[in-house]
Amino acid sequence: MAKLRFFADIVMNREIAMDIFHMKLYCPMAAKLAIPGQFLHMRCSDTLSPLLRRPISIANADERDGTLDIIYRVVGEGTRLLSAKKTGESIDIMGPLGNGYPIDQKVNRIAIIGGGIGTCPLMFLAKKLATKNSKSGNLVKHSVFLGFKTAKQSFGIEFFQSLGYDVHISTDDGSLGFKGFPTDLIQDYIFDVIYACGPKPLLAIMQAYAVRHNIMSFVSLEERMACGIGACLGCAVKMKSDGYKKVCKDGPVFELSKVIF
Amino acid sequence: MNNDRISCKQNTHKTDLSLEIAGIAMKNPVMVASGTFGFGREYSEFIDINNLGAIVTKGLTFLPKEGNPPPRTYETPGGMLNSVGLENPGVENFIKKEMPYLNSLSIPVIVNIDGDTVNEYYKIAKRLDNVKNISALEINISCPNVKQGGMAFGQDPQNAYEVVKAVKEGTNLPIIVKLSPNVTKVEKIAEAAVSAGADAISLINTLLGMAIDIYEKKPVFYRTFAGLSGPAVKPVALRMVWQVYDAVDVPIIGMGGIFTWQDAIEFILAGASAVAVGTANFVEPQAPEKIVAGIEHYLKEQFEENIRLNDIIGLAHKANID
Repeated sequence: MAKLRFFADIVMNREIAMDIFHMKLYCPMAAKLAIPGQFLHMRCSDTLSPLLRRPISIANADERDGTLDIIYRVVGEGTRLLSAKKTGESIDIMGPLGNGYPIDQKVNRIAIIGGGIGTCPLMFLAKKLATKNSKSGNLVKHSVFLGFKTAKQSFGIEFFQSLGYDVHISTDDGSLGFKGFPTDLIQDYIFDVIYACGPKPLLAIMQAYAVRHNIMSFVSLEERMACGIGACLGCAVKMKSDGYKKVCKDGPVFELSKVIF
Repeated sequence: MNNDRISCKQNTHKTDLSLEIAGIAMKNPVMVASGTFGFGREYSEFIDINNLGAIVTKGLTFLPKEGNPPPRTYETPGGMLNSVGLENPGVENFIKKEMPYLNSLSIPVIVNIDGDTVNEYYKIAKRLDNVKNISALEINISCPNVKQGGMAFGQDPQNAYEVVKAVKEGTNLPIIVKLSPNVTKVEKIAEAAVSAGADAISLINTLLGMAIDIYEKKPVFYRTFAGLSGPAVKPVALRMVWQVYDAVDVPIIGMGGIFTWQDAIEFILAGASAVAVGTANFVEPQAPEKIVAGIEHYLKEQFEENIRLNDIIGLAHKANID
């Protein structure tokens, strides 16, 4: 049986916005298996400091050239060490892990809503949805709403635009696009399905909106993790019924309406 | 298969890693620690579980338990705190949903059990007594993350005695008693457990610790205290294995921060007949397999031909006397 643990070659690792890094990995098996919403559990150091792996969302995967992209924000020692890795080094990864976004819905109007680093899994999702659309020849109206703290930390905008999405931008300080949250921008629209990822306050607002308009919505959650594979029960998230779920194994993607924030 | 290089068969110089603990025959002394390996299935995509000496399941209670509110984990220098709170499906769901996979394994299955009351320990032991393919029960009298029971039973010799006695009445399976390090004299608890009929002792469970969120100005964990594990606790665990080895005659399963084969050898020389890998599983799923290979290599390199693992258990105590 194939084991989901690899030593991937780093093809590229560079800063694309303030404290935001883009790493490209060569790992054909993982690239082949990956679906949007899944993550890699990455060892940032060969030593015991920091001890635990870091779960990082997959921002893109290309089966043909065998590569995976991750985009991460430097927030602590683990991600700082990741950002210092050089092209040509190899890195210890487990994955792709988790369930991924369901994309089988036959719908016309899709909204993608991302906040900050939560934009990453949505990039991979947007690419898959675009491929699916071009195959089916459907003329669908997809919109992307992205929020960042400030213009300097924004990324991925051109990626969504190049795929033909209608992209709406907001920043907390108004330095790019609308001053406010992406949830402010979406209020005037109605969609058939919503895909979201971002900080919890943003997701809570999205949940209220989705429930009010009865829109099917999927969210990718973040939580501190140890094992990443459902064994330690460390990354619990409370659901409205059914007790706790594991973000790593039952998720990271959940139906938005079921999560308690 | 990427495990070829740690296969046990290539050398004429024979090294026997097999052993028997409390009547459980194991092909090597490397187990996994309860709570770090789920019910085994979770790791099947990462290692060949049949390469382990034995598997120890996540702690079970009689009824399902929801566990503690998040956050449940917190990284510390060389370790981690956890406050999972014994989330588990309960004994009936375990038998229905998890035993079929465990039945498919060729290695001994040890089931870790926990209770709020002495009677609950008895009930769960009795329920598991006639379940096929369970090799032993490990009694958790050391969980620091629950409101009742758990560690309270492991901090007083009389309480420990009563729990072990009750479990012995409920089952004919071999009994391993898992001790808490959060005591002044661990050997007293070990002695009480053995006098009640424990067939083996395992230690340590996690060390009680805590963390404070300096911006929220409150404890990180809902239950304030949480269990510390990982390399940071290894010296404490090793010392306690040493003390228990001096105090009782039953086999000891040593654990606490074992990441490498060198760590495992230290525990064996201190008196552990077997070792369990815990937190290391989260970081390096192949840690147990690498440790098996490392122990074998060490025996070949350090000792005469035909050495058995048994011959080096507690060896460091002899040096200490000289």
